[in-house]
Amino acid sequence: MRTLILLLLCTLGLPAAPTAAQTPEPADGTRVESADVLLFPTEQLSPGLRRDIEALAGKPLSRPDVTALARRIEEERPEVVVAVRIDARDNGEARVFFLVARISDDANLGTNINARYTVESVEIEGLDEHEISAPLRDRIKALVGTRLDPVEADAIVEKLKAERPGYNVVRRIERGTRRGQIRVVFKFTETEELRWIPFQKSRSKFVFHSENGWSGLHDIPMGSRVHRVTAGLAYDDNDTLVEEYSGARVRFETRQLGTERVGASLEASWLNNTWREPVLAALALDPSLTEPYRHRVSVDPMVTVAITRHLRATGGLSLSSLESLHQSPASQMASAVTGGLFFSQTWRPEHRTRQIVDAGYELRTSVDGFGSDFDYTRHFARARYEFRNRHNTVIAEVFGGGITGQPPLFERFTLGDSTTLRGWDKFELAPAGGNRVFHQSIEYRFHGAALFLDAGSVWDNGRERQLRASTGFGFHIEHFFATVAFPLDAPGEGATFMMGVRF
Amino acid sequence: MTPPAARAAGIALVALACLGVPYRLAAQSLTVRAAGDMLQVRGSGLRLIESAVAEHLKDGRSVRVDFEMTILDKAQGAAVTQNRQSFVLSFDLWEQRYAVTRTGAAPRSISHLTARDAEAWCVENLSIPLTALGRFSRDLPFWVRVEFRVQEQPPPPDDTQGPLALRTLIEVFSRRGSEQALDRTFTAGPFRIGN
Repeated sequence: MRTLILLLLCTLGLPAAPTAAQTPEPADGTRVESADVLLFPTEQLSPGLRRDIEALAGKPLSRPDVTALARRIEEERPEVVVAVRIDARDNGEARVFFLVARISDDANLGTNINARYTVESVEIEGLDEHEISAPLRDRIKALVGTRLDPVEADAIVEKLKAERPGYNVVRRIERGTRRGQIRVVFKFTETEELRWIPFQKSRSKFVFHSENGWSGLHDIPMGSRVHRVTAGLAYDDNDTLVEEYSGARVRFETRQLGTERVGASLEASWLNNTWREPVLAALALDPSLTEPYRHRVSVDPMVTVAITRHLRATGGLSLSSLESLHQSPASQMASAVTGGLFFSQTWRPEHRTRQIVDAGYELRTSVDGFGSDFDYTRHFARARYEFRNRHNTVIAEVFGGGITGQPPLFERFTLGDSTTLRGWDKFELAPAGGNRVFHQSIEYRFHGAALFLDAGSVWDNGRERQLRASTGFGFHIEHFFATVAFPLDAPGEGATFMMGVRF
Repeated sequence: MTPPAARAAGIALVALACLGVPYRLAAQSLTVRAAGDMLQVRGSGLRLIESAVAEHLKDGRSVRVDFEMTILDKAQGAAVTQNRQSFVLSFDLWEQRYAVTRTGAAPRSISHLTARDAEAWCVENLSIPLTALGRFSRDLPFWVRVEFRVQEQPPPPDDTQGPLALRTLIEVFSRRGSEQALDRTFTAGPFRIGN
């Protein structure tokens, strides 16, 4: 019986409206010879509905009336769907059939009620269809003229994703131009990895460190896919630099200056600085270090050129005015030329496996032409590799840097925060930071649970260098993390707890 | 953070928490009745088909929802018996009505439903045999806990608009709220079979 139902549904097509492929049907106004309900016991319909169906016989054919009766059957018996077939008789009259099928008898209908409708057309949005392989295009076109097969449509979505990495693909269905017909739309949207120039990553975080308390940065980007303005706030951030700072910044970015390969940004920031006692004590002990400041106002214009989709070069300026902490309102200028080379690429060798490589080198060197009171050059290089396979993630990261000359304190390197040498306290390890740094980290995550090992050193050139290490475990669930870390080979040092959100 | 700032942040958090309370209290209601030899539950105000789920459905896609009904001996007590059932929801684009299919060994489907009726139909199809209630079928009070989880999540937001950190922040701090939209639990009682 079930096979018969499916055969009829497939043969006749659903629902009421006939498709162009079917044989011509009698025109409206043709006398109806009879009207029958098939595959469903009519006694289960209300007497009024039965009477109205029977009353079709002998009257001129009216498709709206027939369609309305089919809908009444469905409304009265919501567990079924109804198709209408109108046959021409040799005597010039018409026969009307209401073909009734239980939804639960058809797996496709049970999965999606729209499987009762015939696919009128298939459209691809966001990508030229010629960028899809011919076999897959043929498979997509084969949907047209048949009842919607949700399983097949979803399988096509997966195939499209596999064939066009870098795109999100979603399927949606819309009403067609005629009742009972639908349009299937496969919509492609480019992900960030396909852009020539990415926007700057959000720095937003609220982090608690058991030794150093709370730090907060919040970026609020607004704009379009090409231009963006980011308002940023900092709340007592002691997790990034030697200094602790609060304040605001505004950043304007465009990633299309005539071409998508050239972008530019301009950032201005106003920061109030505070200094922990250990930092001030370390600065007092070392007269070779530059002096601390109470306010830092910076302007950073930059141009980015994409050499390839994965390799970008940057060049710009960094202009900072530093108001002295001890001799306010006296101030100093820290002006530098900046440049960098950055590489970023994601590979998806197979479904559920992803490899990401990020690497970069950045140079900052002071320039006399902009009245800099500091004379220095800073080099910094980093590389990060991430491998994901289902619930397993391995992250390996390494960075190193060196500074020559006398840099402002915000350029000095630190270790021992929520991302580096976790378990060590930066204000004990090297309160005033160092002009040399090296750090590496390896972390394994399974679902949300994480194990890691950090090692590194921060020191001043010409002084003793000591390699430190730490290990720990924690949880990373989407934006949230909680970590307990232990310094290694450090008698008397206890565990450090860190938690927060990065988004 | 300075003390006044910390106090202000604390007040803001408490205020946000308080804003959520009336909604949660007023959200759902459950009633039970014996229908033949089955215990049937009726629920309203599930708020399952709304926002992202409703948008997903109106794009012609389907959503699977796993329901679990548990009979408890107290509000937070031990489970007496349990019934799990999955449903597939879809939205008929031409009829502008929802369809629901109960999956499993004895599939059952219904269409032409409003969103609220579709939600209620899912709960009604979580019946439990009265015999499974044991002594609670003999006038002892019991509680009913209904949980549901939307299995097919709507797709992630289109990232062509850039990484909207404000939206992300809202999502982060409303995580509890959004989980309630897609993964909710509510308990009602006490009920007696005689009622």
